[in-house]
Amino acid sequence: MGNKKIINIPLGSQHISLLEPVKFKFACENEKIIEVDSDVGFVHRGIEKACTTKFKFDAVPYVVARICGLCAITHSLCYTTAVESLLEGEVTQKAKYLRILLVELDRIHSHMLCLSHTAENAGFEAMFMQIMGDREYVMDLQEKISGNRIQFDYVSIGGVNRDITTDIIKDIKTNLKIIKSKVDEYIDEFTNNWSLSLKFQDIGALSLDEAYDYNAIGPLARAAGLKTDVRSETNYLPYDEVGYKMQLGTVGDIHSRNIVRLNEILNSIEMCENIVDGLPQGDILTKLRGKPNGEALVRLEAPRGELMYYIKGEGKPLLNRVRIKTPTFACIPAFMEVFKGSNYADAPAILASFDPCMSCTAK
Amino acid sequence: MINKIETSLKTVVEDIKNFYRKEQHHFLTLNGVKLDDETTQVQWIFSTYGEVDDITMFYVDVKQYEFIPSVVEILPSAIISQREIVDMFGLDVEGSTKGLYLDEDSQQMPLGSCGI
Repeated sequence: MGNKKIINIPLGSQHISLLEPVKFKFACENEKIIEVDSDVGFVHRGIEKACTTKFKFDAVPYVVARICGLCAITHSLCYTTAVESLLEGEVTQKAKYLRILLVELDRIHSHMLCLSHTAENAGFEAMFMQIMGDREYVMDLQEKISGNRIQFDYVSIGGVNRDITTDIIKDIKTNLKIIKSKVDEYIDEFTNNWSLSLKFQDIGALSLDEAYDYNAIGPLARAAGLKTDVRSETNYLPYDEVGYKMQLGTVGDIHSRNIVRLNEILNSIEMCENIVDGLPQGDILTKLRGKPNGEALVRLEAPRGELMYYIKGEGKPLLNRVRIKTPTFACIPAFMEVFKGSNYADAPAILASFDPCMSCTAK
Repeated sequence: MINKIETSLKTVVEDIKNFYRKEQHHFLTLNGVKLDDETTQVQWIFSTYGEVDDITMFYVDVKQYEFIPSVVEILPSAIISQREIVDMFGLDVEGSTKGLYLDEDSQQMPLGSCGI
């Protein structure tokens, strides 16, 4: 046996497995990846800087919503919750319920997008098309509730911008019922179809120990069995009243991540149904007075994991600091660890299973 | 509620080492807050698994020319946020190179002293 030759193979910055710009440089020994380097800053837009220099604090919710098309609601909600904690006044229970409703609908369509890409990377184009088509049921609901399919400016400081009608509630119940039956079919496919189950088992695995070491979050961590979910570690939103249940896996491979996401969709559907059945009466928007003075740190569970906003103000219209820690950004070191030891041929599928958002990461 | 603990550049690594238990604490991120033209507050932020809003923050006020020790040996995931504050604030962090968001030879520090 001679010395093994190391071959450097790039993945990205543009790659067919992921539409967003990210670059990984793999050092491979034959097929096996032994070292990884990453470049994630292709779409940096200076949003943190803009939030403290160009926009007053009450306009920032609509700025941070532009960080990401998929979790716009979580960004604006996380920021507004941080501001609300520094202002006097209380957001009504009805507004909190409506906020959870949109966050969970957002989680459903984001997880469906990830699952469709995972199917596509397994060579299962038909499944990709089917899930993307079914995702329209959620997008329709988001449009009816907020006015927009994706980039909705639904949350404002003090509550939400639009009330919900009985017709919309009826549509929510109808569409959620359809999605639920579709997800049951997906679970069958992702569990029993060779392309989507056996092919992905033991591929791209993150162990529980590694999840702790690399501070993994979101479905990536829960698939490895790490009991962490911001929905159970904060009390800004009444998740305990709407039927939240943590979904865990054990193996931490692509298959586990798929199953955790599928189960989270079912739980989100259940929560949305409970919300519309038990929606409290009251106003949707409370006028909060004053300007943020002090510092606040708020975390919310975005579809990809923990999102954190730290803000600091001195009672002026412009804030001193807006720090945004996004889920994919925090998971990059864990992603790199998972790649090590994997076959290069599996890298696109592993990457898709992380559900990375480079728009959030580079902000 | 944030439990803020002041530390120093000499003791921050040891303080975090004594505090951090990987199966108990979750490292959120490394943060920088500009206090004045020359001073930045660097914050190492942690939460506790399974506890509601239990946030612990170690912080040091550093001058622009001071050298910040790395915590990557204790917290491997800190490497990415260390690189971020090098880019954004122009600070000097052990083992962390510029070039995460900006060019590697960029003179800019968007959230730092020069403000560009």
